[in-house]
Amino acid sequence: MSKKNEHDGLDLRGTLISVLAVGIIIIVMWVAVYMMYVAR
Amino acid sequence: MIAQQDRKLALSYISVAYIAFLIGTLMGLLQVFIRNDKLDLPAWLDYYQILTAHGVLLALIYTTFFIFAFFITGMSKSLGTFGPKVRLWSWVGFWVTLLGTVMATVLIVIGEASVLYTFYAPLKANGWYYVGLALVIIGTWIASFALIGHYRVWRKNNKGQLSPLFAFMTITTIIMWLIACLGVVATVLFQYIPWAFGWTDTINVELSRSLFWFFGHPLVYFWLLPAYIAWYVIVPKILNVPVFSDSLARLAFVLFILFSIPVGFHHQLTEPGITNFWKFLQVVLTFMVIIPSLMTAFTMFANFEISGRKKGATGLFGWFKKLPWKDIRFTSIFIAMAFFIPGGAGGIINASFQLNEVVHNTLWVVGHFHITVGTPVAMTFMGLTFWLIPYLTGRKFTKSMKVLAFVQIITWSIGMLLMSTAQHVLGLLGAPRRTAYSGYNGHPSAMEWFDGILSSHVTMAVGGSILFVSAMILIYIVVMSMFLSPKALKVEDQVEFPMAESDKSHTPKWLENWWIWIGIAFVLIIIAYAIPLSSMIMHAPPGSEGFKTW
Repeated sequence: MSKKNEHDGLDLRGTLISVLAVGIIIIVMWVAVYMMYVAR
Repeated sequence: MIAQQDRKLALSYISVAYIAFLIGTLMGLLQVFIRNDKLDLPAWLDYYQILTAHGVLLALIYTTFFIFAFFITGMSKSLGTFGPKVRLWSWVGFWVTLLGTVMATVLIVIGEASVLYTFYAPLKANGWYYVGLALVIIGTWIASFALIGHYRVWRKNNKGQLSPLFAFMTITTIIMWLIACLGVVATVLFQYIPWAFGWTDTINVELSRSLFWFFGHPLVYFWLLPAYIAWYVIVPKILNVPVFSDSLARLAFVLFILFSIPVGFHHQLTEPGITNFWKFLQVVLTFMVIIPSLMTAFTMFANFEISGRKKGATGLFGWFKKLPWKDIRFTSIFIAMAFFIPGGAGGIINASFQLNEVVHNTLWVVGHFHITVGTPVAMTFMGLTFWLIPYLTGRKFTKSMKVLAFVQIITWSIGMLLMSTAQHVLGLLGAPRRTAYSGYNGHPSAMEWFDGILSSHVTMAVGGSILFVSAMILIYIVVMSMFLSPKALKVEDQVEFPMAESDKSHTPKWLENWWIWIGIAFVLIIIAYAIPLSSMIMHAPPGSEGFKTW
């Protein structure tokens, strides 16, 4: 098994931001329905 | 190109899938007009009959037959041509599944089984309907064991090696399916069939629903994992990059074996027969599925970014423009993935215990269904269909077909956006699901469901109509690719099966030790289900007689 990391040197900043954006969409949708739940 | 006999098998599965798709989408079109009070069915046809046909033929039959066609082709390509026994049992599986499908469909058509695709008791169908459903499951088991046999032969001939990623993912999906089906087999064989044929007078409703959802939730992953196989293995090849991480992909898949099954109670959060503790435990286990889901999201974005940067993209998001947008094999699956972001988020809301009160039994759930299985899964299957059928028939995927494929994907996206958004909003406003048209005696709240742009049954019908047009374009593409497009005689015209290279040198061997994952899965299932299910049996409420409400 080679010890060299196959992902060395990759620029994945866009991936990080994109996955965080997915997380934010999930949180925003969840909080929106939660607010409706509390309001009812 | 895989062997001729394996191609014939896969094409048979695909043919049934698209016949079911044709009838199922027509039933969908009728529904949106009925709910909009714009269509009265003839006396011999009932709303709940077409609702049942829509659910069964699209959610159960189209998906299952397409999935096996994809598995058979991919397993023949990645592990080699099927042996005679594997091929024989695959055919037996095909015919048994088809027999069950025909039986169930005939009983729906003659009005003996308008019980919707969840067939909740105490609604009671003709006993042969449940026999038909049982045959569908048995047929898939036979076909599954045939594929497992093919895999075992490969493992025997390649001792100590990890299997190709496609085969690993196929076997993962099949293992999950086999375990999941135990619930539905138990309820159909020991509860529904004796009850429907009159051998028992009553049925334990809560137990039947719990056993159904033991199966029903992993059924969702039976649809989704083949789409994920395409995302993990096919998409990188189209992008001309290797699989991002072989071990991450395998770990994500085995996590689905563990966390897709002991979670069915999150479909029963409003039911009184299960105590809050067991509901809460299964809600927590449901949330564990977010981990492999976000691992998948990360991998997809990484594929896109690596591919774009290889083509010279700069900046944070420069890679986005470099993606192969003109390649329908990619664009279709990309849009499918995009739909899955709100689809997945909606799923977390549905499963969030108390939040389920806001959406339960409303049109929101229908909208959720259509932006999970109806688009991420179905559109991925469409994206696969464009090349899979020409690959199997040896025909060209012509320029005009490519243009039509874009029209089909765009119309499906627009139609689904309109229909599912309206369904989500209507659901939040309280519009119910599983009901034919009702004006609720002109109640102002119910009348509001016909006003507005996004919160309207009219928008839903417009979206549904566009979806039907899109479905018919797809059927045209399928027929052309199957029978009429010119044969690909030159090498450059031949359609390939895009399967990315996967570097297994860093992948730990224990990821393919199935007994570990099956063992943990059963431990989790016992923890989540043993006590509540035994309580439902030992402290069973009075059983219910059957009802035929149609």
